[in-house]
Amino acid sequence: MEGRLANSWRLTVNDKNFIKTALLSEIRIDGRKPFEYRKISIKFGREDGSSEVQLGQTRVMGMVTAQLVQPYRDRPKEGILSIFTEFSPMADPSFEPGRPGELAVELGRIIDRGLRESRAVDTESLCILASKFVWAIRIDLHILDNGGNLVDAANIAALAALLTFRRPECSLGGEDGQEVIVHPPEIREPLPLTVHHLPIAISFGFFSNESILVIDPTHNEEAVMGGRMTTTVNANGDICAIQKSGGEGVPQRVIMQCLQLATSKAASITKQIKDAVEVVNTERALRKVKRHPTSTGVDVREKQN
Amino acid sequence: MEVDREDGRSQNQLRPLACSRNILHRAHGSASWSQGDTKVLAAVYGPKAGTKKNENPEKACIEVIWKPKTGQIGKPEKEYEMILKRTLESICILTVNPNTTTSIIVQVVNDDGALLPSAINAACMALVDAGIPMKHLAVAICCCLAKSGYVILDPTKLEEQKMKAFAYLVFPNSVRSVLPEGSLRVEGEPIENGIITSVTHGIMSVADYFYCLERGRAASVKLSDFLRRNLQQQSTDSSKAG
Repeated sequence: MEGRLANSWRLTVNDKNFIKTALLSEIRIDGRKPFEYRKISIKFGREDGSSEVQLGQTRVMGMVTAQLVQPYRDRPKEGILSIFTEFSPMADPSFEPGRPGELAVELGRIIDRGLRESRAVDTESLCILASKFVWAIRIDLHILDNGGNLVDAANIAALAALLTFRRPECSLGGEDGQEVIVHPPEIREPLPLTVHHLPIAISFGFFSNESILVIDPTHNEEAVMGGRMTTTVNANGDICAIQKSGGEGVPQRVIMQCLQLATSKAASITKQIKDAVEVVNTERALRKVKRHPTSTGVDVREKQN
Repeated sequence: MEVDREDGRSQNQLRPLACSRNILHRAHGSASWSQGDTKVLAAVYGPKAGTKKNENPEKACIEVIWKPKTGQIGKPEKEYEMILKRTLESICILTVNPNTTTSIIVQVVNDDGALLPSAINAACMALVDAGIPMKHLAVAICCCLAKSGYVILDPTKLEEQKMKAFAYLVFPNSVRSVLPEGSLRVEGEPIENGIITSVTHGIMSVADYFYCLERGRAASVKLSDFLRRNLQQQSTDSSKAG
């Protein structure tokens, strides 16, 4: 629709030249240095598994839910982890509702690769009854405000939500031990997920003149930059994933420099996430102490078919 | 009649309200509204060029996108979109910017009862934040009727499920004007008595419905005062540059 084309936001030539010229003197338009990350603030919602992360002007909300399903046939003893990214039209006038575009799919895949293939979330502990019942963890990421560098913010939101999520405890019962009884939270404390390490995504932007490199680009810089690279590293120094799809070529030493920078940033971001989660967990534990159960629990039995 | 509500409120007591405007940077207008644990985020982009296919190009067009917390978009979400669209169309002055579209995006952050009224309130505040011309504000409230016949306001999700019937009511906000009172009446009744939208679920008798309306109107005056205070306060301390 022509009306929609009029909504795509374009940066003027003057703005672009200004950004590039400022970068030559190592100045960025929001006052940061080239290797400085924006301020991260992590907040949590009322229920377990909901987080809201603000990275400068970028805002992402993460929500984790779980459901009992049949496992995949080729992996009967593993749980299922799926990530859904919603590029909400409220984040950017050019985001359309409906089917996810390329950016949304790429973002989802980068986060998925960081969590699943690096075995950050232990899927084997999600198995209740092999080949019959496993937990399917669904992570919904809603992008609320696009201030640039959505991947990093969404990754932090996903990790924060996973660390505060609690799944109901269930046990096997019934005559032949084939029934799964899911205990409601009032009867048995729900359990946290097993997360071995936290893969943190750090994005870099490359600019054409003289291989200038910046970390954590804003959306103005994203419109100007010639290439981008996202590295997913954890605090132990392991590289979980690197994504550089197209854009301009970059010499090897620059990639090595990026990886070293990423590892050092990952350590501080991991600490920030863990501290925030710690605060929320103690708060929730205190709240539970004062809680009076008002209803008697109901056993939910799920028979195998 | 003394009614025991789980969180200790009385029949006509609303949950604590919290509202903040201008929280998103890319959107033209944004607002977050929370009633107790129900929290809704609304963003407005507009006016944009062009109207959608079957809309009248001589008027402005309003488009609503409802985003649930998790899961696919189904029929309930489409219904909410339609109700919101019609409610907001009746409060906005559509002749000011003809042949334009204003998009309102509503994101549910947490649902603990009275979701649609919270969304209407949030969307209204976001429209004010974006500067879209409106005739008056819309103030939404939820009234429930229990099996034993008493009416409670602003239910939580548990309360909503136990009730026989409930109604979402939307009224115009209370008017404070320098004009003489007589000129603001419509057919002899003050403007704030008019109902913009009413959505009911479940069976209720006519007398019960009118009782709900009365209660809802009384609550809407309190909500209007809250909105007015909130808007006046924020307009004095924030200075929006462009």
